[in-house]
Amino acid sequence: MLFEATDLQEGELALQREVREFLAAELPRGTFRPGLGMGAPRDRAFSEKLASRGWIGMALPGRYGGHDRSAVERFVVTEELLRWGAPVGHHWVADRQTGPVINRFGSEEQKQRFLPAICRGEVSFAIGMSEPEAGSDLAAVRTRATRADAGWTVTGTKVWTSGAHASDWFVVLCRTGEDEDRHMGLSQLIVDLRSQGLTIRPIPFLDGHADFNEVSLEEVFVPDELVLGAIGQGWSQNRSELAFERGGPERWLSTYLLVEELVRERSDEFGERALLLLGDAVARWWGLRRLSLSVARTIDRGEAPAVQSALVKEMGTRFEQDLLAAVQELVDFEPVVEGNSLFERLLVAAVLTGPSFTIRGGTNEILRSVVAKELGAL
Amino acid sequence: MSDWLLVDGARRLLADTCTHELLQAAEADGWSAPIWDALAASGYADLAGLELADAVAVLTVAGEHAAPVPLAEAALAGWLLGESVRGPVSVVGPGTFGALSLHSGRLSGTARGVPWGRAVERVVAVVDRKAVVVATALATSVERRTNLAGEPRDTLVFDRARVEEVRPAASDLNERGALTRAALMAGALGAMARLTIRYAGERRQFGRPIAAFQAVQQHLVSLAQDASLVALAAEHAARAPGFFEIAAAKQLASRAALTATRAAHQVHGAMGMTQEYRLHHFSRRLWAWRSEYGDEQRWAARLGAAVASAGADNLYPVITGGSAAM
Repeated sequence: MLFEATDLQEGELALQREVREFLAAELPRGTFRPGLGMGAPRDRAFSEKLASRGWIGMALPGRYGGHDRSAVERFVVTEELLRWGAPVGHHWVADRQTGPVINRFGSEEQKQRFLPAICRGEVSFAIGMSEPEAGSDLAAVRTRATRADAGWTVTGTKVWTSGAHASDWFVVLCRTGEDEDRHMGLSQLIVDLRSQGLTIRPIPFLDGHADFNEVSLEEVFVPDELVLGAIGQGWSQNRSELAFERGGPERWLSTYLLVEELVRERSDEFGERALLLLGDAVARWWGLRRLSLSVARTIDRGEAPAVQSALVKEMGTRFEQDLLAAVQELVDFEPVVEGNSLFERLLVAAVLTGPSFTIRGGTNEILRSVVAKELGAL
Repeated sequence: MSDWLLVDGARRLLADTCTHELLQAAEADGWSAPIWDALAASGYADLAGLELADAVAVLTVAGEHAAPVPLAEAALAGWLLGESVRGPVSVVGPGTFGALSLHSGRLSGTARGVPWGRAVERVVAVVDRKAVVVATALATSVERRTNLAGEPRDTLVFDRARVEEVRPAASDLNERGALTRAALMAGALGAMARLTIRYAGERRQFGRPIAAFQAVQQHLVSLAQDASLVALAAEHAARAPGFFEIAAAKQLASRAALTATRAAHQVHGAMGMTQEYRLHHFSRRLWAWRSEYGDEQRWAARLGAAVASAGADNLYPVITGGSAAM
C-alpha cells in the first residue's frame, strides 16, 4: 500500500473552518480578481495578513518565527487559499520550498536572517534552477561560482525564473567544482536579486503576461555566509527541495475555480454532459485530495514520500489539463481576453497557461521515468 | 482502521488457495468449492458480521486474488437483512428492480444477473425496499449466465414462490453493491499493477528489460496511479460509507478499469491474451465489475446532479467533507 488513508482530525477541521471564515471576510467573492491556483497574483499586503494569522511558514520552528505546525495543517490552509483563487504569489515559493530548505540545510545565521522574514510574509523568493541548456536535465547547469575573497563570484544565466522581477532573493543552483561526476560539484547559493552584476530581463509569456524572466549573473559576488548548506552538496539538497514542490494541492487545483464558476454561472442550463463532467471532476478531486493528504501525513511522520509525491503530481497535473479540455469542449462560445464574466476570464487564463501545468516543477515525462524506476520495475 | 490480523489472515489464506490451477478449474462453472470451504472454515463466510471497514478490506484482498466465490454477496445479503448472515448466499441485483413482485408472501418474476444463483441455497431480493429471502430451489428455472470474467450471473424465474422472510431493507443495495465492487476492483487493480511491473522487469527484448523503454514506463506509472487512487478511495468509502464517498469510489474504480486494463495488456503483449497467464483473471474481472452496480458514467451523472444542486459555494466543502457536507 503506497498511500495510507488518513482523515483530518478535530483541530485540523477547526483550522479549515477558520481559514474559510477568514477568506469569506477578507476576500469576499466579487471584490478581488481570483487566480488559477498557484498562478494567482502577488499581493504582499495579503501575504502579510496571512502571516499575522500564522499561516505562512507554518511548519517552521517557532524560534525562527514559524509556528511548529504540521504538513497536514499547512495542506489545510494551502488548499483553501488555492481553491479560493487567493493572491498567494508573493509568499508562495518561500513558504513552500525555500523556507523548509533553509530550515533543513541553512546555517544558524541564515535561519535567523531569512526565516522570520519569510514567516512575516515580507521577503519573497524565486527559484534559480533552470538554464538555457538545463531544463529537465538540471545537472547540466553551467552557471559557475569561482572562489573569491570571503565568498564566491557567480557568472551564468538562469531562465524561466518566475517572479524574479518582483522577488527579493533567489536560490541559485551552480557549479562550484570541476568534478567529473556532473552531480558532484554543484552548490546552492542564496543570491540577492538586486546584486551588482545581476540583470533581470522579462521573457513575456505567450499572452504577453510578465512573470517569466531571464536572470543574467555577471561576476556577482556572493559572500560565504550565503552558501546554502555545504559546497558540493547542491544536487542532493536540490532534490529534496524538489520533493517539497510535489504532491501538494497546487498540482490538482489549478482549474478548480474554473469549474466552480461554471457551476455558479451556468448550472441552470446544465445538460447531461455537464453533469457527467462535474461528477467525474468531483470524484477525481476527492480521490486526488485523499492521496495528497496522505502524502502530507507521511511527511509529518518524518518520512520522505518522494515516489508518492511524484505520482500525485503527474496524475494531478494531467487531470488539470483533462478537465480544462472537457470544459472547453462543453461550452460553445468564442472567449474574449477581456472576459464577459469571471468564468470566461478564468477560461481564457487557463487555456493560455494550461500547457505549463505539466511542465513546471519537472515535466511529466521525466517524472514518469523517475517513478517507474522507483516502482521496482528495473 | 481495519483489523490487520483479520485482513492479513484472509490475504495469506487466499494467496495459498487461489492458485492459478484452482482459478482455471473454477472457470468451468465459476465456482470454487475448495476456496469457499477454506474461507468459510476460517470465518470469512459472514462478512456482514464484521465492521464495515474490515469487510471491505477483506473484499479488497479477495479482488487481489481473483477469488471465484460469492464473498461480496454474503456481505450484501447480511447488510440488506441488517444482521450477520453466513454464506454461501446471493442477492438479486438492482438490475432486476421492478421485475419482481411480492404478493401475500409469494415472490414472482424474473431475477437476472444473480451472482452464483446456481450455487447458493438462498438469495435475498429487494422488492419495494423490502429485503426478501427466498430459496433458489423454488425457482421454476435457473438459466446459466456468466459475466465477462466467467463468474455466474444467472437468471432465476420465480412463480409464486413462498418466501422465507420479509423485512425492511436495512441498507441501499445500489450503494453497498457499488462499494463491494469498488473494493474488489481496488484489489484487482493492485494485483494487476504488481504483476505488470514484475513482468516488465523480467521480459527482455532488444537486449534489455522492456521496463527500460520510456514508453513502457509510462504505462507502469499510470497503472500504479490507478491502483493507488482506487485503493485509497475504496478504503475511504468504507470509513465514511455515504452516497458521495461510495459514488466517487465506484466512479474512480470503473474509470480506472478501462485505463488500467488497457495499459496492463499493452505491456504484456501477446502473453497477456492467453488463458495460461494470470493477467486475464484480473482484467476480465475489472471489465465485468466496472459495469456491475453502475459504471463510471452512471455514478458520474448521479454525483454531478447532486453536486450541481448543492451549488457552487458548496462545491469545495463537499469535496472535502463528502456526504456529511451535502
